[in-house]
Amino acid sequence: MKIAAEDNVRELERKLIARARSGDKLALRELVDQHKDRLFAFIWRMTRNHHDAEEVCQDAFLKAFASLESFRDEFRFSTWLFTIGYRMCLNRMRKKQAINGDIDFASMPLPSHESPSDNVESAEAAQLRSDVWSAVDQLSPQQRASVLLFYRQSMSCQEIARILELPVATVKSHLHRARLRLRNMLESTSEKDLLQFRNLSGLAG
Amino acid sequence: MRCEAAQNLFDAYLDGELSAGQRTELGAHCVKCADCRRALALMEVSGHIMTSDREPVTLDANFTDRLLACVDEQESSWMRRWQRWIYVAAPLAAAAVVLMGFFGFFDSNKGRVAGKAETGQIESVIDDSEIPEPFLDDDLEVTDGDAPAGELQQLIRRSQNNFDTRRQDVESLLEKVDLTILQKIDVLEQLNEQDPTDPEKHKNDLPGHDASGDE
Repeated sequence: MKIAAEDNVRELERKLIARARSGDKLALRELVDQHKDRLFAFIWRMTRNHHDAEEVCQDAFLKAFASLESFRDEFRFSTWLFTIGYRMCLNRMRKKQAINGDIDFASMPLPSHESPSDNVESAEAAQLRSDVWSAVDQLSPQQRASVLLFYRQSMSCQEIARILELPVATVKSHLHRARLRLRNMLESTSEKDLLQFRNLSGLAG
Repeated sequence: MRCEAAQNLFDAYLDGELSAGQRTELGAHCVKCADCRRALALMEVSGHIMTSDREPVTLDANFTDRLLACVDEQESSWMRRWQRWIYVAAPLAAAAVVLMGFFGFFDSNKGRVAGKAETGQIESVIDDSEIPEPFLDDDLEVTDGDAPAGELQQLIRRSQNNFDTRRQDVESLLEKVDLTILQKIDVLEQLNEQDPTDPEKHKNDLPGHDASGDE
């Protein structure tokens, strides 16, 4: 059932790409609307700069549309778009690094993350949320990209490997090391607070 | 199960890849081991936060409109570039064709300058050996665009020489053609004086009309 639904989605995407290739502006608009938020979120998490993220996001779409003829239907459009976006993002970060030196993510002010639920959360849970995102910022670009694509974009290791242009085993290794680093960085959080948060989030059951 | 073995299963546990038996083993270990329980909870809750938190920033509402305007702009600028290129390239191409024609680039046969189809008799005065080879690229020996300045000067000199030689040849050919025409006019006038009413009668007297074609 799930496979049939997936096939259906892929077929719709192929038709949409075909329309976009023939210059249908509505198809282009649909592609942008489908993917812009996810791509922007990913690039913003990588760069932690709203202006840069928006520019890279726009450039990635323009590049993708300009070379739509070279898109191969056996991949998902999102995978291809994220590959372009990731490359552009790394280039942008390298340029900034060359001009300004290493980007110190730790010194950046953390935006206020919001819980997906409307429940009022404890100060401990809010602290943990902040600690987790702060720890994510301190991962290497490849580890950060692996973690973000895996957790936030719900991508498989195979898809991530295509986007990062790495072997699947390397992606798994990045994920493993990232989790280990996150764990070590969060060690100071007390077990009691974690369990409390799990109860609030409904994970304990 | 030892802590090390339990921690080796953490990734597979988090990715939902553990078998039922391995899951039970890991759970049994965590019940007894506070360190592993805590480590696993940390990883689990981190993953939960990363998966479910709302994004703190969003794209501008008019992002799509701006992006599609850029697409339109790119297309129209491409068209403008193409049109500009046509405006520049078309006159250049025409000029190149004229120049190539002038230098005899399209003459595959030597001695065609006089137009042998229309001037069967006049053609005979033009000797092929008098006409130099067409001004072909082979003469230039240009291999790439990075020729040193000395070679370029030499190339320009050779082109100039070739041009001058060509002009002299054309001038001398024209003189010969003029002379031949004048001679033929003289002959015709003489014939007309003999029998102005019947030129057909003396047709075969015209020089160069026979099979040899030579005067």
